[in-house]
Amino acid sequence: MTASALLQVLASGLLMGLIYGLIAVGLSLIFGLMDVVNFAHGEFMMLAMYATFGCFVFFHIDPVLALPLVAAAMFVLGAGVYGGIVRHAMRVKVNAGMVQIFATFGLATFIQGAAQFLFTPDYRNIGDNGWLGGKTLELAGVYLPWPQIFGAVVSLAAFGGLYLLMKRTDFGRALEATREDKGAVALVGIDSNRVFALGWGLGAALVGVAGAVLSTFYYIHPQVGAAFATIAYITVALGGFGSVFGAFAAGIVVGLVEAVTAVVLPPAMKSMGIYALYLAIIFLRPQGLFGKL
Amino acid sequence: MKRRQVLLGAGATMALQGAWTQALAQGKEVVVGAIYPLTGSSAQVGIDAKQAFETALDIINNASPLDLPTAKNAGLAGLGGAKVRVVYADHQADPQKGRAEAERLITQEGVCAIVGCYHSSVSTTVSATCERYGVPFVCADSSSPSLNRRNLKFFFRTAAHDEMFSEAMFDFMDALKAKGQKIGSVGLFYEDTIFGADSSSVQRKLATDRGYKIACDIKYRNNSPSLTAEVQQIKNANPDVLMPSSYTTDAILLTNTMASLGYKPHNIMAQAAGFVEKPALDAVGDKLEGMISRASFSVDMGEKRPSAKAVNAAFKAKAGRDMNDQTSRQFSALMVLADAIDRAGSTDGTKVRDALAATDIPGEKTIMPWSRVKFDATGQNTFASPVLIQFRKGSFVTVYPFAVATAKLVWPMNA
Repeated sequence: MTASALLQVLASGLLMGLIYGLIAVGLSLIFGLMDVVNFAHGEFMMLAMYATFGCFVFFHIDPVLALPLVAAAMFVLGAGVYGGIVRHAMRVKVNAGMVQIFATFGLATFIQGAAQFLFTPDYRNIGDNGWLGGKTLELAGVYLPWPQIFGAVVSLAAFGGLYLLMKRTDFGRALEATREDKGAVALVGIDSNRVFALGWGLGAALVGVAGAVLSTFYYIHPQVGAAFATIAYITVALGGFGSVFGAFAAGIVVGLVEAVTAVVLPPAMKSMGIYALYLAIIFLRPQGLFGKL
Repeated sequence: MKRRQVLLGAGATMALQGAWTQALAQGKEVVVGAIYPLTGSSAQVGIDAKQAFETALDIINNASPLDLPTAKNAGLAGLGGAKVRVVYADHQADPQKGRAEAERLITQEGVCAIVGCYHSSVSTTVSATCERYGVPFVCADSSSPSLNRRNLKFFFRTAAHDEMFSEAMFDFMDALKAKGQKIGSVGLFYEDTIFGADSSSVQRKLATDRGYKIACDIKYRNNSPSLTAEVQQIKNANPDVLMPSSYTTDAILLTNTMASLGYKPHNIMAQAAGFVEKPALDAVGDKLEGMISRASFSVDMGEKRPSAKAVNAAFKAKAGRDMNDQTSRQFSALMVLADAIDRAGSTDGTKVRDALAATDIPGEKTIMPWSRVKFDATGQNTFASPVLIQFRKGSFVTVYPFAVATAKLVWPMNA
């Protein structure tokens, strides 16, 4: 393998890694906030991809411009899912953990079924019709597809924005405080229900951004969430459950490890690299890279 | 007066009786099971399969002018005009779900035969279950060569398997070499279930036997989010002919990734599957101009098989797309099965099995390029001659065997 080929693999891994981080961060955010794993995370992303596709086909809005619209719509959806389903699932007195798992898992199955019914299981594609589709930047023999560069930039911007939001705004501080101690924030007059709803909205909006980015270069299908959701779970576990910036770092690590494993081992085993790394982390640092126990 | 009344009464009774038996015959149903992916990432294949079966049922259950077996009269003549009904089950590409559904169809729905299953991995478990219950399994569209080599008595495959398909590919390349083309190396790229494993092992053997260098031999994880590193390896190896065995998702991703890494393969010779599916061609067809695929069917076959055009038109009216490699094989499998049940005159598993084993349908009575339908001792139709088709400006043309070619070959695909 030549140096430029290796550079290519690393660059592609880095770009995909940034996108993996963006996909995972919403999941991590919700988990950190209220200890609920959203099993419908991949399906949220799938809906965002269809929304982007819909904007493109029906209103001729390019995915780049549709991105904020999709994020806003996903915010509403996420908050709605919290208010309509998760809030009730959290209220049960027995087996709360199981109920939460099945509530979001059932939601995932429902969304998949509904998507297949409404959108048919045909593969959709924005592809080369969009502004970015099919365009590639060549730098010294290394090819960087523009849609993925766009994805990486959006991912960096989203993490930057999230950082500012968490550290500089009242909402961010309320989020942080609720995450620390739900009972105490109620005493100082913060409505934890409202914070949770906003947290879910934010988590869904972030994965919505990821979905809009992905739809510029990936096929769109009712099952598309599954492959990415698995990676998102690993990313979150690797970065530390609940750690937003852990998800960012872990996303990059997962992207790079995946790309390198596919070169070193037979590509059919490329996810083994990620799992091996994950196991090593579990043994050496059970809380994940940036997690707190 | 009295005598007349008796006569009238008798006449009426007889007429009624006639109507009654007719009604009975019409009420009689032959139930056939079809196990396909109706949800999951290959759901569209199952949904198209449903349309292919419904197209076949229209011909079987109604009088049709087409020259196909069981077409002439409504229903199956051998069972007093009984209608055929297909019960569908969903396997979601999971061999275990397929096995469970086969069991359910046999024990609860009382099917007399099962057709399936697209994924070779699922056909493996479903055919084993059928064998156990003594119910024939007609393999429509799974192409792993190992399927008919398990000493199953109730297994029948109407279409060619990957060994026959791959042999055609290498015969074709040999023929091109004889004409002065330079083809030194092939690149194998295949998914990691039984389809990819079997397809690649045949191709690997053929390549070695016939003196082609294997430039790369890449087994990849199916439904991966990214194939960049894999494509990078193909690009480094740069084979003269890239031979992918992939389902739809991977076919789309592979094509897109090759384009985004600035790699144009000299030639693609695909083991059909994802590469002939309409969604893949809609999504990335512009990047696949000149791709060659093995095939059991091509729409331009219409000139050689008179029924093919009409069947394709009927299918298109239902499904909104042309028949392809998969749907034509599904259609044909059900026609062959209906013919066997008709000849068996019974829905008994063993009788249908024996009738299937005795099948001998000339090629003209199918919509396929096959020379005939006749099974060998392992249940394989050895007369299912494959063709190679080339993707040109949005549709496929037949390019090999040269004798039946409908268009001139473009080679190489990308100079």
